[in-house]
Formats: sequence, structure tokens, C-alpha cells
Amino acid sequence: MNPVSLPAPQEPWYKYGVTILVLEMAIAIAVSAYSLYMTFNGLGGFPGKH
Amino acid sequence: MHTHKTEQLLIATVGFFWCFLMWFSTAAFSPSIASTYHLTIKDLGLLASSAIWMAPVGRVVAGWASDRFGAPRTFAAILAGCGLVSIASAYTTDYHLLFAERVIVAIAGVSFVVGIQHVAQWFDSQEIGTAEGLYAGTGNVGAGVGALFLPRIFGTDYHSAFLWLGVIALFVALWYLWRGSAAKTTERSALARRSSDLRGTVFVWTRYIAIALMFAYAMSFGLEIAMNAWLPGYFTRGFHDELLGLGFSSVAGLQIAAGTFAAVESFNASLFRPFSGFISDLFQRKGWTPLPFIAKELPYAPRLHWLGIALILITLAMAGLTVAGLYGSLHWSVAVLVAFGVFLSFGTGGTFALVPLLFPERPGIAAGFIGGVSTAGGIIYPLVFGDSQNIHMGYLYVAIYMFVPFVAFYFWAARYERHPEEHGLFGAVGQQA
Repeated sequence: MNPVSLPAPQEPWYKYGVTILVLEMAIAIAVSAYSLYMTFNGLGGFPGKH
Repeated sequence: MHTHKTEQLLIATVGFFWCFLMWFSTAAFSPSIASTYHLTIKDLGLLASSAIWMAPVGRVVAGWASDRFGAPRTFAAILAGCGLVSIASAYTTDYHLLFAERVIVAIAGVSFVVGIQHVAQWFDSQEIGTAEGLYAGTGNVGAGVGALFLPRIFGTDYHSAFLWLGVIALFVALWYLWRGSAAKTTERSALARRSSDLRGTVFVWTRYIAIALMFAYAMSFGLEIAMNAWLPGYFTRGFHDELLGLGFSSVAGLQIAAGTFAAVESFNASLFRPFSGFISDLFQRKGWTPLPFIAKELPYAPRLHWLGIALILITLAMAGLTVAGLYGSLHWSVAVLVAFGVFLSFGTGGTFALVPLLFPERPGIAAGFIGGVSTAGGIIYPLVFGDSQNIHMGYLYVAIYMFVPFVAFYFWAARYERHPEEHGLFGAVGQQA
């Protein structure tokens, strides 16, 4: 293993930061899935109605 | 003043979010403005493109200013200046004056590099990817939030929207000045201030690795803003019959369907960006260096490899868009587009997980150069796309004639096992500045 890449201890804030980024990804996936479902079914889409 | 780096991250993120909201607020109300002033299609195109006019040069200046004067003062000045002009634009009744004022408000977009510098001055190397990703990714969402919510809150009353956006920007500026702190230590901010001379600027601009990262950001963020402008028109023209088949027959319906695909790409590119920074941190922790040619012994070598992977994925996704388009498959085209948005975020997050580590003495100047010049891609790519005989071929042309050379240059510039920042057009001058 490369000696310069030894894991550094994580600070407490890091786990909250990771929680936020997971939440943001979930929002992206949910909005994408909903919008594409609406569009491919001719029901409208993001950001407005049909 | 007692503070914590998470407070500084929060201030920078809120400031950037609000700046992004102001940056794209003109676009959110362009139909209302067009209706009020009876604008032609050409006028509308000019209004839309004016949003990025100030970015290339403005970001370079803002990056230098953040090193020189500190991020809090620079960011507060941008927020206050753009906020005041936004308030003034709320009372303007002459279109030409309104246009000029909104170009000035669009300067808010240059704040990106100021926040990058601010976060870099507070976070350590093992967590910089996630911290910068959270800052930039969350802040970028301001554009999407503006497009979604501003017309719903204010209707066609853009005067009130511009007024409130400006007033709140003044409060955020005061908060930034009150609680913002330029760096974790006074030594760190003093070093950035000392290094922010012309010699230091020339040094950064002539480094091969800085130029390679600028190309990398042009391949990711430059392409992202290009696609924001290009994709609605592409889907409307390139998949007209398929959209009609889905039931979108009116002009408004076609716009909504095409706009949805574009928005999905933009949303993913913004909201996956923190994840990319996290993966860069993960590569660093695990010491993963899977690619050939790129350095393996540098302290941040795994992050170079992650960005290399992102650039290859972006290039392949561009080719994929062409293939799906030539087959006439709307479903496959959208599927590739979703992946494409995620890959763009890998590029943007991966780039700015590296910039502060490569130029720790000049984070603002480096961020200004890499984050500023690269936005020219937003102007260049749509010209290439639009010049293609077949509307689907433009992606492949850009991939072959621009991205393959960019990636090759990146691999070449990132091959040095010791101090890649010392290699450039004029040797290592300025390194000790």
C-alpha cells in the first residue's frame, strides 16, 4: 500500500456530511424517476404540467 | 472569534446557493420579461446567454481577490453588490437598463471560486473532497431551485422576485462578514495573501497540471452549462416524432418534455457532486491507483486517478448519446443522459477535490483560473453541436476532436511522480513567491 495514503482518522462532522450527500443523491434519484415516469407516460414532467 | 470549520462551510454554501439563485433568476422570468417588453427570439437568446458573459474573467478576478483580501470580504462584496443592483432592477422600466443590470447581477456566479478558496482554507487534505463537494453541489442546486420555485412563488411578478432576492442577499452578506473567517490559521491566510501577486498568477496559469485541470473542468462543468442550454432544443428537434408519440403535441408540451430531460441531467450533475468528492476521499483513503501512466506515489495520486476515470466516463457517455440518437431511441438516449449527468458530477467533484491540494499556497488564483476559463466551454460546445449536419453527431465530434486530446493531455500532465506543479511553460518560477 502506498505509504502516503494511510487512512486518516475522520472527524465527527464527516459522518453528517456523508449523510447529507446521501440525502442529496436520494433526492436526485427520486426527482429523476418521478419526472421521467411522468414524461414517458405523457402525463407532463419537470418543471411543469403537460 | 470562536468558530468551527462546519460553520464556515455552512456560510460559504448558503452564500453560494443564494448567488446561484440570483445568477439564474433572470432565466426563470424570461417569458414574463419577454412578454412585458415584446422581445424577439433573438433578444431572448441574448438575454439567456448574458448569464455567463462575466464568468470567465470574473472568476479569475474573484479567485485572486479571495487570496488577496480573504473570502469573507470578497464574498460579502459580491453578495452586496449584486444584491443592490438586483434591488435597482426591480424598479427599472427601461429594457436596455434592465438588461445591463441583470448582466451585473449575473456576476454573482463568480462567487463559486471564492467559496472554493474559503473551504480549502479550512479543511484538511483527507476530507477536502467531501467538503468541497458539499459546498459546490448544494450551492449549484440554487439554479434548479430558482427554475422550479421562483415562478411558482412570484408568478409573473419578476419585480418583486428581484427585490426580495436582492434584500436577502444583503442579509447574507452581513452574515458572511460577521461570522466568516478567512482561514483556519492566520499563517494560512497570510501565505495566500503573500502569494497573490502577478508572479504567482503567471505561475499557476502556466502549469501543465493546472491547464489539464482546466480542461477537465471544461469537460465537466463547462459541458454541464452547455448542455443546460442545448438539450431542450436537441430533444425537441432530434426526437420530435417520439415526443409526439408520447402525447406531447403542443409547443408547450414539447417544451415541458424536452425541458424535463435537460433538468434531469442538470439535477443529477449537481446533486451527485458531493458524492464524487466523497469517492475522491475514498480513493485517497484506500490508496487506489488503477490507471496506467498517471502518478502513483504523489500524496494525492489516488485523487488524480479518480478524476482520470471520470473524464473517460464523460467521453464514453458523449459517444453513447450519439449512438442512442442515431438509433432513434428516446428511451436509451434518456438513460444515457441520466448516467451522463452523474459522470459530469464525477468530473466537477473530482477536479475541485484536487485543486486546493495542488496549489495550497494559491487556492483562489488556481480556482479562478480552472473554474473561470473552463466556462468558455459553455459557449463553444453548443456551437459545435449546432454546426453538425446530423444533430446527433455533435456529441461524438466533441468527444473525438476535443475530449480525447484533453484526456491525453491530462494523463501526460499527471504522470510526474514528484511535484507536478513544478512542470510548466516557464520552469518553476514563482514557486517560492
